[in-house]
Amino acid sequence: MAMKVVALAGNPNVGKTTIFNALTGLRQHVGNWPGVTVEKKEGVLEYKGQKFLVVDLPGTYSLTAHSIDELVARDFLLKGSADVVVNVVDATALMRNLFLTMEILEMGLNNVVIALSKVDLAEKHGVEINVKRMEETLGVPVVPVNAKEGIGLDELKEAIYGMANGMLAERPVVPRYDPEVEREIEHIIGVLKNTPLAEKYSLRWLAIKLLQRDDGVIKLVLRYLGSDKLDEIMGHIAEVEERYKRAMDLIIASQKYEFIDNLMHRFVRYTKTEGTSFSDQLDGILTHPVYGLIALFGVFYLLFKFVFAFGLPLQEALDGAFSAFGEWLAPYIANETLRGLIVDGIIAGVGSVLSFFPLVFLLFFALSILEDVGYMARAAVVMERIMRKFGLPGKSFIPLVLAFGCNVPAVMAARTLDDERDRLVTMLINPLIPCSARLSVISFLAAAFFAGSQALVAVSIYATAILMALLMAFLLSRFVVKGEESPFIIELPEYLVPSWKTVILHSWERSKEFIKKAGTIILLGSIVIWYLSNYPVPIGIGESYAERLGMFFEPYMELMGLDWKAAVSLLFGIIAKENVISTYGIIYGSEEAIVGAMTPLQAYVLAMVTTLYVPCIATIGAIRAESNWKWAAFAVVYMIALASIVGIIIWNVGSALGY
Amino acid sequence: MIVPLNSLRPGERGIVADIRGGPTARQKLVGMGLTPGATIQIIEAHNYGPIIISVGGVRFAIGRRMAAKVLVRKL
Repeated sequence: MAMKVVALAGNPNVGKTTIFNALTGLRQHVGNWPGVTVEKKEGVLEYKGQKFLVVDLPGTYSLTAHSIDELVARDFLLKGSADVVVNVVDATALMRNLFLTMEILEMGLNNVVIALSKVDLAEKHGVEINVKRMEETLGVPVVPVNAKEGIGLDELKEAIYGMANGMLAERPVVPRYDPEVEREIEHIIGVLKNTPLAEKYSLRWLAIKLLQRDDGVIKLVLRYLGSDKLDEIMGHIAEVEERYKRAMDLIIASQKYEFIDNLMHRFVRYTKTEGTSFSDQLDGILTHPVYGLIALFGVFYLLFKFVFAFGLPLQEALDGAFSAFGEWLAPYIANETLRGLIVDGIIAGVGSVLSFFPLVFLLFFALSILEDVGYMARAAVVMERIMRKFGLPGKSFIPLVLAFGCNVPAVMAARTLDDERDRLVTMLINPLIPCSARLSVISFLAAAFFAGSQALVAVSIYATAILMALLMAFLLSRFVVKGEESPFIIELPEYLVPSWKTVILHSWERSKEFIKKAGTIILLGSIVIWYLSNYPVPIGIGESYAERLGMFFEPYMELMGLDWKAAVSLLFGIIAKENVISTYGIIYGSEEAIVGAMTPLQAYVLAMVTTLYVPCIATIGAIRAESNWKWAAFAVVYMIALASIVGIIIWNVGSALGY
Repeated sequence: MIVPLNSLRPGERGIVADIRGGPTARQKLVGMGLTPGATIQIIEAHNYGPIIISVGGVRFAIGRRMAAKVLVRKL
């Protein structure tokens, strides 16, 4: 028997994820909705011997068809894919949350269960909710839930079970509008009545959506009615708008809110008025243009301090463990070629990337805490003031910060941006931010060639890279990626103590994808590199395929003062950027030899080019997964061009100045 | 007096009268509770960048250009 499907719907920041985790435990799976990069979370709930597939729909404020998130949520509900719809309603923002509830009920669903979250918090604000009366008024079951403390979960499971098995019946209330609007709804229903649409959809819902001029529904109705009848309907709507002197979608929205307001009087009691809360005072500082920025730097300084303090020792330990494993394994493999492939190719290649896992996990862990506490929205506000000048929204600050750790999760984190154009631009400039692998290259070269002024050298490379990222953001958002600038509005959620379970699950989910990439793309890349550097003869003699490739590129490399060895190193750096140094090591045989072979200016150019050129394979793969091949290829091409231009300029200016 | 939201000072309140701008932006605001009839209070407004508002007990940061499209009846 197929599992019954439970869909979780609700506004962002209502505690949906906590409820999802509480219902499904560890039995969950994250992927993408087919065709779009909206996160699809599924998990299994078992109750009374029956298994349910719980699907966490994207958090949305409404079900209009304007963003992909909304469209995904709406299509899922509209197609009747869910046997039970659990609508999570935040008691602290009841009016707005019930707006979504009404949109859901208006679809004609009668399998809705309301999970009422944050009831305790609402009471603290002086909002008392009579749950029984709420249930009677709305005509659907209401279960107060505090998932963090495990309160109400059994009741919620019972309600889901009851609803799925037809033991609960409901008579959901749906909004009534002004007589004039209702007349228009009736009229449209009359037109739609004898079409095949009537079997598939709630006609009232279709009528309301037509009144709101919903693109998706207009197209749908056009298919069944033809343009003549549709034009007639739209003409009617224009007349009503003329009389109200206001757009129909606004009329419907405000009347819907009025309707909700009237309902709420029956089950909500306000015991005290709100004064300035702790949250308000904190916001005064954290969103302030000056203090907020200082706080932001402080917070992220501590974040990186934390991540590197705990992550770097783990990374080194893991790196050591992988090479120890390789050394241990080597004698057991008799065939020399196979041994080379497995030990020097696969274990060394995949291991060097996997060793970054602790850093990636800790970074996600720290960011999930900030997210759960409610700080990220404030950070976005502070950065909005600065980043908008470069064509980026404040929210893309988070993926960019992540990139200092590793570009792969950072590219994936761009998902959180709700605008397609912002998401693309953020993803495309993301690899310009120096990740921790490049830090190892920069710090090696700075230490070896610029003793005494290494910090200055490192900072200048970082600064150039960040500047280039901002410059590219400006250019890309203006000339390359199409679309209009998205409006900025963001909810500032109440500051909350994070749920550790959610934080850990969340960081694990995100960093898991990093491991998956290491297991696929990097595995393949490591094998290719190993082959190129060992055939027809091993690297170091000048005859391997890798070296021949390097020599082919030598004339180009000379433009920026580099030789074929740099070409080989950079080529291998595409697998993982820290390979740039280890390849030099292989070609020259020792560190001293490297130092003797290059001038400081050449080393500086090499460090800069390593930072700016093609992102590592895993990052290219992430960009492809989140957009398509075309954009991934574009990123590769523009970064090669950018790195070349910067490299050529530095080399020529530097040489002219006599360095 | 009907004025754009971004002209209010911190502490001042207004009732949303109309929202200009494209349907995408408009319906986003409406879903968040910024609907005609809703009372908005300005919490913070600095010289540039987003302003912080409170609607229905929830706080939002809204971009200045967006705020200019929300027309309110000043209270």
